[in-house]
Amino acid sequence: MAQIVPPTPVLDIARGIASLDEDIPRVLALFGKTAVEELGWRRPNRSSLLVPIEGTHNGVTENYVLRLGFAAYRKWPPSAQFVNPNTLTYAHPVDQHHLPILTSPECHVHANYAAANGRTLQLICCSATQEFYDTAHPVEPALIWNEQNTFYTTVAAIQKAMASFYGGRFAKL
Amino acid sequence: MAIEENRTNSGSLDEAVEHLKEAEVHLEHAREDEAKAEREVKEAIHEIEEASQHDEVNVNELEKTTFKVKIHATLQQVWDKSYKELKLERKPKDVFQTASAQPKSLMEHLQLTLEQARDRKVIENFHFGIASETGGA
Repeated sequence: MAQIVPPTPVLDIARGIASLDEDIPRVLALFGKTAVEELGWRRPNRSSLLVPIEGTHNGVTENYVLRLGFAAYRKWPPSAQFVNPNTLTYAHPVDQHHLPILTSPECHVHANYAAANGRTLQLICCSATQEFYDTAHPVEPALIWNEQNTFYTTVAAIQKAMASFYGGRFAKL
Repeated sequence: MAIEENRTNSGSLDEAVEHLKEAEVHLEHAREDEAKAEREVKEAIHEIEEASQHDEVNVNELEKTTFKVKIHATLQQVWDKSYKELKLERKPKDVFQTASAQPKSLMEHLQLTLEQARDRKVIENFHFGIASETGGA
């Protein structure tokens, strides 16, 4: 099917926070939980969420921290970045080893992606992340983010790739 | 006269012994039939119990649904039923997985029954999820 390049996300932090407030109980209900902590998640501030992500490669299980940002949510998917668990930020190249190697055709992690505008960034290349649209990736219309999705769509897409396409940790530079 | 009487008595005894043997054979057959009937009753009761026993499963995607299936339903059957229950369109690259903080793909275990999957520790409970296709590169 022909791919198109969707428009670039527009930030609306107030709406993002309100949508996150609204969606957290909805997502927790899927698991029969009442607090994000019960799933091991954390909400360090009103506009972000920290989600532990686990991957097993060659019998070795590693843990990562995914930081979701809700500045353009829910019109657009959350920003998704793997971060240093100590600083909760990502700086290349020093934090590269906090990234999982993911090579799924639906979800590919780039440690230092060079966007067309000259900007470089960590990119979880997946139509369920805000950065995918920020970097103007073409996508099949049926797979474009829609407002019926929740941030759990993003988490599930990354976990889906981790289950089958995880290749260990990026090298420490 | 006495000899003849003895012969007659002996004949009656032989006859009686023969009848006893026949009766014992009949009794043995009757016991076999009874044992068979008991087995059939037990099997029928087991079948009824199995047919009426349904275990609750939970499946989530964007919404959650709960429905009952037999413990001998395969993961493939549970996955298939999930679309109907969720009123969800099936997409070729969907993945059926466990529903937990760290979900596991069940795509290599779809032929297992719920019971087998639980016994083999493939699943911990009857909570499942469907991960839909996304675009990427």
